[in-house]
Amino acid sequence: MKLRPLILCGIAAFASLASLPSAWADRLDDIRKAGVLRVAAFDGNPPFGYIDATSKKQVGHDIDLATEYAKSLGVRLELVPTNPANRIPLLTSGKADVVFASFTITDERAKVVDFTTPYFLVGQQFLVKKGVLTDAEQIKDLRIGTEKGTTMEGNLRMRYPQAKVVLYDDSPFALAALRNGNVQAITNDGVKLTAQWNQLPDKANYEIPPITVSKEYLGAAVPKGETRLLESLNGWLVESEKNGRAVAIYNTWFGPNSSAPLPRLLKIGDARVASAN
Amino acid sequence: MSLLDAAQAQLLAPRYLGWLLEGWLTTLWAALVVIVASTLLGVGFAAARTSTRSGLRRLAALYVSAFRNTPLLVQLFFWYFGAPSLLPQAAREWLNAGHRFWPSFEVLSALVGLVLYATAFVGEELRAGMRGVPATQLQAGTALGFTRAQVLRHVVLPQAIRIAVSPLLGQYMNIVKNTSLAMAVGLVELSYTARQVEAETFKTFQAFGFATFFYVVTVAALELLSARVSRRQAALPRA
Amino acid sequence: MNEAAATLQVLADNLPYLLWGRWPEGPLGGAALTLLLSAGSALASALLGLVGGVALAMASGGWRALLVLALGFLRAVPVLMLIFWTYFLLPMALGIDVPGVLSVMCALSLVGGAYLAHAVHAGVRGVPAGQWQAGLSLGFTRWGTLRHLVMPQALRMMLPSFINQWVTLIKDSSLAYIVGVGELSFVAAQVNARTMLYPSEIFVFVGAIYWLLCSGLDLGVQALLRGRQARAEAS
Repeated sequence: MKLRPLILCGIAAFASLASLPSAWADRLDDIRKAGVLRVAAFDGNPPFGYIDATSKKQVGHDIDLATEYAKSLGVRLELVPTNPANRIPLLTSGKADVVFASFTITDERAKVVDFTTPYFLVGQQFLVKKGVLTDAEQIKDLRIGTEKGTTMEGNLRMRYPQAKVVLYDDSPFALAALRNGNVQAITNDGVKLTAQWNQLPDKANYEIPPITVSKEYLGAAVPKGETRLLESLNGWLVESEKNGRAVAIYNTWFGPNSSAPLPRLLKIGDARVASAN
Repeated sequence: MSLLDAAQAQLLAPRYLGWLLEGWLTTLWAALVVIVASTLLGVGFAAARTSTRSGLRRLAALYVSAFRNTPLLVQLFFWYFGAPSLLPQAAREWLNAGHRFWPSFEVLSALVGLVLYATAFVGEELRAGMRGVPATQLQAGTALGFTRAQVLRHVVLPQAIRIAVSPLLGQYMNIVKNTSLAMAVGLVELSYTARQVEAETFKTFQAFGFATFFYVVTVAALELLSARVSRRQAALPRA
Repeated sequence: MNEAAATLQVLADNLPYLLWGRWPEGPLGGAALTLLLSAGSALASALLGLVGGVALAMASGGWRALLVLALGFLRAVPVLMLIFWTYFLLPMALGIDVPGVLSVMCALSLVGGAYLAHAVHAGVRGVPAGQWQAGLSLGFTRWGTLRHLVMPQALRMMLPSFINQWVTLIKDSSLAYIVGVGELSFVAAQVNARTMLYPSEIFVFVGAIYWLLCSGLDLGVQALLRGRQARAEAS
């Protein structure tokens, strides 16, 4: 007898969950009204987002983009530090308005969040001790570390199912595991690996072999259904390419005078190749 | 889409349920290993805590203080990320390479961390149980010519365990829950697989819902066991 | 010798970051945030525990059964899972945004409250039945007896449980790292990632900081109790 109210409550809760998307009507208006743009960005993944050792501030390529976008809206920027696995939950639970965290665009993810036009192109590569990986054939025999909630794990599982994969909560843990020998290789996008390799005190012992497993288009993400916010962000991204801001930000972090020079593979607004996997 | 289709779309595909089940099985056997190991070590620890030798007593007290007043997470980080740097290179390589009947380093360091932490608590419960055994028991035993170790083993310990059964089962429940922390150091247990499933399917509620359900079921089973044991104890005549 | 000096240098350099995180250039973090988290949760769980324990002692029937079920659930779920729930899933269901620190405090308070509710209940039950009868015969209502006679005695017995719970909360706050809250364990992992060469030293050092916090709390309160007892005996 006492069980019935419980069951009814349960059904009501479940039903209310099914009607969630309408809970946040227009995020862009909310942002403007509150005067704050909350952006989820990495705090442990140089050079996209990390904590600078001296200034203690969260800085990086993605954070610069977020800062300029917030300025264009005329609102204050509030950074929400995140690891890879928390990116989508932060959007769906309303804790962040935008994710600017080297977020790979995939069809599965596009069902749950809305992506902007890609603003970066990377390839999935490996960081190993010198000589461990010379041929793509060897990948399936390695112990490989990467992070939870990234496309890296899925790619490995699809192409090299026999490889032993260990998932860590964030990049620094994976790097520590590589240095300890817990894993023989860590996989991530080549840009991040280069930055990590540059930080190593004994980087001469490590290398990033010229083996790319997949191409990853990175985009910013907004909650599903926030079309006005998406249009505003897309418009700003394309505009920043036209007026050179995007290139300027890129050069700060990856230009010829930066610590990790890399040729720019993608101009914002380029038609992107259909996802390789 | 009919309501039934919509409901079905919300469910997890069988392969993801399979992942979660595997994670749960790992949680179960890891918890079992930790329970058995920490109980065995806990007995030795409780004996050391009540030893006549003051040096041993102090060492055991230090152990309790160190392992109970630091977070399990930091201890696990130490065993996985820190301890290897203290070992010689050859040992490190051997531990990290895969061997036939030897657990991977992730499993090994997680178990070591969990066991050492649990022993501090289980040992204290056993010590409390031993304190509940009347001192006359120990005296009678030694008067009969048994060594201290023999008296402990045959007379005091069985009674101590009977007294401490309820708090011990409480600690075992904690052990089950604490296995969830090992996900940070690569143990593929329930929380780790829940995160994996969530990252692939984005069905946050379902993934975490199932994981929570499995944990609650496991702990509830221990609770039922505890309730039955204390009922049976209440029914027995007092020793 | 040089190695030891280098290690100490690294620890000393990073000590401010470990102690208060990015503050003032950012939000409060490190050991200071750990203390804040645990103190807030300790207070909230004490309140929840009192309410829950009294409810367990005084209520009956269907509501009590529901309470027992809820408390049992909270004690059966790992804290890590509960943090996921309060951080991600509660906002999704309720449509409100709760900042990271508050949601972790919420999770910790719920778990702490569940354990304390049982301790409070046990404490109230532990007061001899004679006290209840005395109160009622003096003309107090059931609630009056509880408030003026039973609770003061019960609370004195339960104080160790409250302290233990606070110490547990200091340790449990380390789990906040999983949702990016910058308390001591999270900051320690960051420092380790940045310095890379001293993992065991850093985690032992951070463990020592936690040990100081927990043991300090334990000893401090014990000293307080002893002082109060001495004064009570002297008067």
